[in-house]
Amino acid sequence: MSPNLPLPLAEFAMFGETIMAALVFLAFLGFLVGGMLLFGWPASLAAGAAGRVRRTSAPLLWGQCLLYLVAFLAICWLHLTIYQTIALDLPPPLGEYLNRQLARMGGGLPPYDPSAPPRYIIPLWIENEKYLFWFACFAFMAALAHRRLADWRFRGALHLAAAVQVAILFWAVDPFAQPLPRFFAEIGPWLADTLGPAERLGLFMRLYPRMVYYYNASYMWLHPPLLFLAYACITITFLASLFMLAGRRRLEVERLAYDHAKLGFFLLTLGMLLGYPWALQAWGPNWWWDPKICASIMMWAVYSTYLHTRLYANRPGMWYFSAGLGILCFVAMLFTFLASFFFPGEHTFQ
Amino acid sequence: MEAMRDQEAVRRASYDFWLILATVVVLFAISAISIGAMFAFKWAAVDQMAPAMKAAYMERMNRIVAPFVVVLVVLLGICIPKRLLPVRWLNRFAAFLLVLAAIATAWQGVRLGLFVVVAISFVLQLVVLVMALAGSRRLYFIHAGYWLRVGSSLLHLGLVLFLLDLFLFRLPTVHLALFWCTTLTTVTGMICCFWSSAVAGAVRRLSLRRKGNGAY
Repeated sequence: MSPNLPLPLAEFAMFGETIMAALVFLAFLGFLVGGMLLFGWPASLAAGAAGRVRRTSAPLLWGQCLLYLVAFLAICWLHLTIYQTIALDLPPPLGEYLNRQLARMGGGLPPYDPSAPPRYIIPLWIENEKYLFWFACFAFMAALAHRRLADWRFRGALHLAAAVQVAILFWAVDPFAQPLPRFFAEIGPWLADTLGPAERLGLFMRLYPRMVYYYNASYMWLHPPLLFLAYACITITFLASLFMLAGRRRLEVERLAYDHAKLGFFLLTLGMLLGYPWALQAWGPNWWWDPKICASIMMWAVYSTYLHTRLYANRPGMWYFSAGLGILCFVAMLFTFLASFFFPGEHTFQ
Repeated sequence: MEAMRDQEAVRRASYDFWLILATVVVLFAISAISIGAMFAFKWAAVDQMAPAMKAAYMERMNRIVAPFVVVLVVLLGICIPKRLLPVRWLNRFAAFLLVLAAIATAWQGVRLGLFVVVAISFVLQLVVLVMALAGSRRLYFIHAGYWLRVGSSLLHLGLVLFLLDLFLFRLPTVHLALFWCTTLTTVTGMICCFWSSAVAGAVRRLSLRRKGNGAY
């Protein structure tokens, strides 16, 4: 990252590190508590101590939610600062020349307005920030599921899942360790102040379309967050489906799985539908067999299969079949998400 | 009379079950093709290809998936009248629909055949929706509940509209307008279907409040 960026990134990173440290601490405690709730108490733990451990269960999850919220607000602040600080402004003659060129090209790019130069309105879930948003959604849903279902083993599983997500966030995709690396790599040369007029115009023509069609695109405020919310729902369905397979038949566990599956399917379908007109506009018709689209269709098909078979969960064998499909939905979700890393195409993170 | 109704219910549940299983099998097949397509895309480096070769790849994949989409559309065409007709008529209707689609295919190709199935499905689903909105007791649903039935009807109408919309892919304005209709129908359908008791409660509270306001 360039040290010349006119942004308080060091303060942001320092504040974020503190929040992440607190989050890791709570998640570690949650991991211990979750392990004890799920696999049983150590023989050395007295009955009174076991009661105290149980009493910490809900506050630990809500504490993580609070820290996620603070972290998310910090990201909002960074994005607001970027909006206020960075503008793609051009000297007046260059602006006039650019507008003449844009009019001649006749593309969908809006003309340059010298009184209000274009600014970045970056969505709150790009690059590593998307993981924070996704896992925060899960933490909130887990806290609500914890409140709803009085099953200590299931509550333990919620803690373990939340702890695994915090571990991934901290070790692999920390949004505070290096904030928005791709964005700053793109914008860095613009802020360097060493460009001549022709180079500046050339760079503007690379940054401006990406700003309009990606960073500032309205679809980015709807399509990705709906999908991440759906992913969080699918994770709860997955945990409940594991309990349907492993434990004795309990209708309230199945009900929890189904309620989250309904919400997840709703969000997933809406998110996918809202991505469709944007894909037509941005990519034309040549995206239909894009790997990520294929994976999403596969996931949607598995998910709708789960919802259909669940209607017959009381038939012999269908209880386990629908639980198996609940697990398959989660596997399909992971596959779909990871597809962006391993398969080329329009959605690739490569 | 009661025994006959029970027999019809058992037959219907079984018919529904097998239709759903058939749909599940087709959806799994489409899922498997989708996964296969992902690997084919990566190994053949389709994203690096010239536009003409890319179009050829898409055409080949369309041809592979087409039979399954055809079966899915036909299953949809058979599923939709199950809300309207008794079980003994459903098989006859399915046969009639297939014959009609076969005639249309022989006459103008598979595109028209499928369009006939989807268009008939659309009309029938519209009838189902109107009857569900009117609170008709003659419709066959597994679950009771006014909003659940309205929601399910809207959701399936959304699916039929989406299929119908695919036929209009080459007319961008109409295609997008119908797409937004599809989205609205599907989303409203999902809300009414998935959270039917909450919707019923909200409507009840609203009507009570209106009555309360009227009294003052």
